[in-house]
Amino acid sequence: MSLTRKADWQFRLSVKDDRELVERLKRREPQAMADLYDGYGRTTYSLILRIVRNTGVAEDLVQETFLRIWNRVHAFNYERGALGVWLLAVARNRALDYLRSVEGRMTQSTSQLEELEAPARYGDFEQSILNIDRVRLLREAFAKLNPHQREVIEMAYYEGLSQTEMAARLKQPLGTVKTWARSALKVLRDQLGQEAL
Amino acid sequence: MKTCQEFAELYELYALNALDPEEQSEIEEHLEKGCPVCSDGIKRAAASMTFLATMPEQLEPPTHLRKRVLASVGIEKSNWRWIAAFAASIAALIVAIIWFSGENRRLDNALVAMRLQMERTTAQLANAQAVLQFLSEPETKQVLFGQGRPQPPRGRVLLNSRRGVLLIASNLPPAPSGKTYELWVIPNQGTPLPAGLFQSSPQGDAQYLHGGPVDLNATGAVAVTLEPASGSNAPTTTPIFVVPLTGL
Repeated sequence: MSLTRKADWQFRLSVKDDRELVERLKRREPQAMADLYDGYGRTTYSLILRIVRNTGVAEDLVQETFLRIWNRVHAFNYERGALGVWLLAVARNRALDYLRSVEGRMTQSTSQLEELEAPARYGDFEQSILNIDRVRLLREAFAKLNPHQREVIEMAYYEGLSQTEMAARLKQPLGTVKTWARSALKVLRDQLGQEAL
Repeated sequence: MKTCQEFAELYELYALNALDPEEQSEIEEHLEKGCPVCSDGIKRAAASMTFLATMPEQLEPPTHLRKRVLASVGIEKSNWRWIAAFAASIAALIVAIIWFSGENRRLDNALVAMRLQMERTTAQLANAQAVLQFLSEPETKQVLFGQGRPQPPRGRVLLNSRRGVLLIASNLPPAPSGKTYELWVIPNQGTPLPAGLFQSSPQGDAQYLHGGPVDLNATGAVAVTLEPASGSNAPTTTPIFVVPLTGL
């Protein structure tokens, strides 16, 4: 994937009109749901497909994700929340939940996953926290990671593996996996100018 | 106990649920004390790591998916326009359409749930087939444990040098919240090797297949411990049971 093709990954995260969009969703305005899908549908579909690697399942999970947002938006604090961050967290959790169930990895209970995607978790930080510039910086930093560093971050995000599970999968000592993960995160932090991610 | 500055290095891994159990407990204990610095840091980290959602190749979803999503919440532009045009004259028809559209929506959502369930069932079936194959091979060997004792877990451990270790147990109550069972293969010499995480059913039954080759001559026992939900690299609790593999 080329970083120069801006249109490839441009999406609406924390844009100003998300606040109005949340308000419209809460009022059950039909066009609000269409706008939400038009703003995030492609990123949501691409993320879920990356995790489950099955188009039919991905379509079902996209539908489930948007339905969840519709049904739970009343609990979302749009004063300071970032709708896109919440929506993509729900999408990731739905896909990881599916992956765990088909792989028989039942290490996380349903209630733990529900907690991870609770709207309240995503409604308490500034809108500007993940703007397009910040995403671009992080993507550039990610491209600088060595293959081991990239692999562990991808295993955590797209496969939902803990460091212990990664160590078992990669047949590497836990300490080595921790070193890869932490050095990767340091590269990302450094790119943002030493501030916390 | 770590300082907030030390915890800051763990924010992203905590947000991704990737910490090992000891560190996860440590940071949760710290958060329970109400530290606003770490709480905000974790929320910021969770948001920032969302950039990974943009990394996969951006693909256009099929055009029918938009319609499906909107229909699932009862919104279909064209239908509503059509309904509006005829609303004044054919009220009865509107009632019927609304009823059918609601029913259609309900059925569509049910269909999605069923499809996902079917995928899960297919995976479970594949697992059952692997277990059947395991059981049917003549070289599979079996050791019973906990026999004659009603209360403690009991069952059997089946071993196949090519296919791995299969545990079938009963009287094993579901692991408490935040915990899971972990299987260990204990070599004659050396430390126990982690062999996977599993849960038991509400009825106390468990069946877990750890696939892959296993050296039966070098293996002295199989054991199960209760571990934190993400598993451990070495046992952290006293085994619930140990099954010596003598006389194989």
